[in-house]
Amino acid sequence: MAILEMKHISKAFGGSKALNDVHLTIEEGEIHALLGENGAGKSTLMNILTGVIEADAGTITWQGQLYPSPTIAQMEDAGIAFVHQELSVINDLSVTDNIFLCHELKNKLGIINYAEEVKRTKELFESLGVDMNPYTMVSELKTAEKQLLEICRALYKDAKLIILDEPTTALSNDEIAHLFGIVKNLKTKGKSFIFISHKMPEIFELCDKYTVFRNGEYISSGYIKDTNPHAITSDMVGTTYVDADVYESRPLGDVVLELKHYSGHGFEDVNLELRKGEIIAFTGLAGCGASELMQTMFGALPRDGGRMYVNGKELYGDAIIDYMKNSVAMLPANRKENSVVGEMTIMENFVIADHAITKNKLFINKSSDNERFEGQKDDLNIKCYEPNVVPITGLSGGNQQKVFLARWLNTGADVLLFDNPTQGVDVGAKAEIYKLILGFAKEGKSVIINTLEIPEIKKVADRCLVFYEGKIKKEFKHEEVNEHDVMLYSTNAIETEGKAN
Amino acid sequence: MADLTKKKFSLGKIWREYSYIFVMVIIILVYAITVASNGVTFKFSHIASILGSQNTCIVGTMALGMALVVITGNIDLSLGSGLVLCTGCSILVFNLTGSAILMFLAAIAAGALCGLVNGVLIGLAKMQAFIATLGTMLIYRSLTLSVVRAIPQEISGSNSSQFAMIAGTPTYEALRKFGTGKIANAIPWITILFIVLSVVIIIISKKTKFGKSVYAIGSNANAARLAGINVTGVKIMVFVITGILVGFASFIQACKIGNITPASSGQSYEMYAVAAIVLGGISMSGGKGNLVGIIFGAISYSAINFIIVSIPALSVDIQNAFQGLVLIVVILVQTLGPIFKEKIQTAKKRKAALAAEN
Repeated sequence: MAILEMKHISKAFGGSKALNDVHLTIEEGEIHALLGENGAGKSTLMNILTGVIEADAGTITWQGQLYPSPTIAQMEDAGIAFVHQELSVINDLSVTDNIFLCHELKNKLGIINYAEEVKRTKELFESLGVDMNPYTMVSELKTAEKQLLEICRALYKDAKLIILDEPTTALSNDEIAHLFGIVKNLKTKGKSFIFISHKMPEIFELCDKYTVFRNGEYISSGYIKDTNPHAITSDMVGTTYVDADVYESRPLGDVVLELKHYSGHGFEDVNLELRKGEIIAFTGLAGCGASELMQTMFGALPRDGGRMYVNGKELYGDAIIDYMKNSVAMLPANRKENSVVGEMTIMENFVIADHAITKNKLFINKSSDNERFEGQKDDLNIKCYEPNVVPITGLSGGNQQKVFLARWLNTGADVLLFDNPTQGVDVGAKAEIYKLILGFAKEGKSVIINTLEIPEIKKVADRCLVFYEGKIKKEFKHEEVNEHDVMLYSTNAIETEGKAN
Repeated sequence: MADLTKKKFSLGKIWREYSYIFVMVIIILVYAITVASNGVTFKFSHIASILGSQNTCIVGTMALGMALVVITGNIDLSLGSGLVLCTGCSILVFNLTGSAILMFLAAIAAGALCGLVNGVLIGLAKMQAFIATLGTMLIYRSLTLSVVRAIPQEISGSNSSQFAMIAGTPTYEALRKFGTGKIANAIPWITILFIVLSVVIIIISKKTKFGKSVYAIGSNANAARLAGINVTGVKIMVFVITGILVGFASFIQACKIGNITPASSGQSYEMYAVAAIVLGGISMSGGKGNLVGIIFGAISYSAINFIIVSIPALSVDIQNAFQGLVLIVVILVQTLGPIFKEKIQTAKKRKAALAAEN
């Protein structure tokens, strides 16, 4: 019997329909993949289910009972838990405090029985196979542990359905395996999961069923075993999506960027030559130092030692503007924290970097800015209207990211550092971004991308540098890149094997 | 996602964007009614006296700076004390030199220096603005008080608790005429100065790259830094500009009143400035706000005083309570309005959907 049935759900914001007559059915003890590009309506549906927003029409039946207009508290009590992508654990409390938050064990005077709470926390962790100290402050936990903690908290409140919103984005492979182990174990105990993810291999490893939305419409659903990644992708993207290989090799020019014994936070002794028209990929597990290296190359983090030359000129110091004036640009990771100026329009977000460089010309030249934006808009295929009025937050993730690409192209940079450029971007926009990156290289710009996704490297990079604990472990040429070998070096399995022999 | 392609004429939108104009019109209408109920005809001179009042011109000028500070996500508690210090300096310079230009420059220089101290503490030393300006608030006033106590009366121009401009010279007469007189017998000179300063600051905020970087820092300082903006430099600059505006306000104070009492003048002016910018529709959360609102906010705020005075049954003691009440009501309408609207719309849609099903 279905534990959850959502039928004919519709929701409009202003004039536009975020959801139009969609359905979702979850069975008991099932892991259900909810799929769709960004903006397909997955989050809206989950927000309706958990009582964050109210649907305009439709019915929610949970365990046989109808919930006409649920509130957050109601749905929590009913046993539905939402583990958000932006974790909602409280950093300044202990692990135990977080589990019992709002459900503290109190005596008649209102004093908390902490010893009992710790005991129950330990029991809970044991039953789930989680290895965590109940006394630890949450601020000291890794992202993966925080995620587990949030799941544990939901389970302590006896949740029957747990929504996992892109839970693996910030996790290493070991951590993902651990998480999946726990999820599978809970499934056998009759818990249900809604699993939101963009990563196909995960979905096919973990899930039983799937539902696909596109542009707020219900498209398809069924058993994972009856389908394949290609079919699902074309359901998500709509028009037949071609996963074509767009890479072609180019002649390379002179060295434009050189690192000599470069060291900083989380990486050391990096030597590197980047040529005109070349695309290099950095990869490695989260925390391998590649992202820190990239930020240091832009002055955003302090350098500890070594030198960096761009077009023969040494660059150092913490004034980002110096790097920008020497035609270096960095598109940072975590778009929301590091790129989006939320209160500003698309245009203001676009021109901000160029204005920082040309700030001595005090007044803004609006018509020239408009013209330059129109040019970039056509080149990058940015879909937007009225860039001078619409806030940047009114665009989808992919279009936002393209605006930020445009922001940096507009500075005239020819050394482009892209830190995880396709993060939180849907499949269609990802393919477009790869094509754009190859286009930049063709025009003679030099690109370094840092990414955890190996297929992405295969699509764009001339060569790939694998980082492990702050050092370059291995260099692969384009032809040599394959998932298996890259993983071998980024997890350092190669040396572990060597020692074992 | 909201439908952003379509522009719609709606009253709600106009209210949200120009609430400060409605607030001002309502407050002035109330004032007109209370004046009329006293049996006096409401004339333009009533409005002119609001325009030329201390709360419009002096607080309003300082509110322009406070607004920039608030947009960067900070606050400046030292405005009132800064006013006392700068006015003290400028009167001192006037009494020593008799020069209007030197007096004006002294006010601006003192203000810029006060602002620089704040800016360096907050921008460079990374102190929280609330704490840093709380410190300078205490320092600026107490320093001025110590000076007025210590200097002879021939220089302070008054007894040991007040700075006063020494009267009797033509320059003195001219300055006081600027402070109290009206252009074409209608609009006070100091109001013109306030409006001119407002226009300059509005242009800076809307048309310059510096102005945009002020907003960017308040909205997302991290993203602003990674886009190449010198966050420290902009913060320091904003506090220096605020200081310069305090200097202008001090010059207005000297010309309008002719004296200043360090122990009591300018008390809570920083809070009045906050009230004026909030009535002017600028959000305290930083990153957004239209500075045009300040002009209206400052006028609204000072008009409230005039309403109290025009009602014979009310004493001046109740003034602050009344101002507080108006402030809360205005903000309440702004915050509750959208919430109610959302509720009503959702209820309507559900009803329509149910009706369609049956």
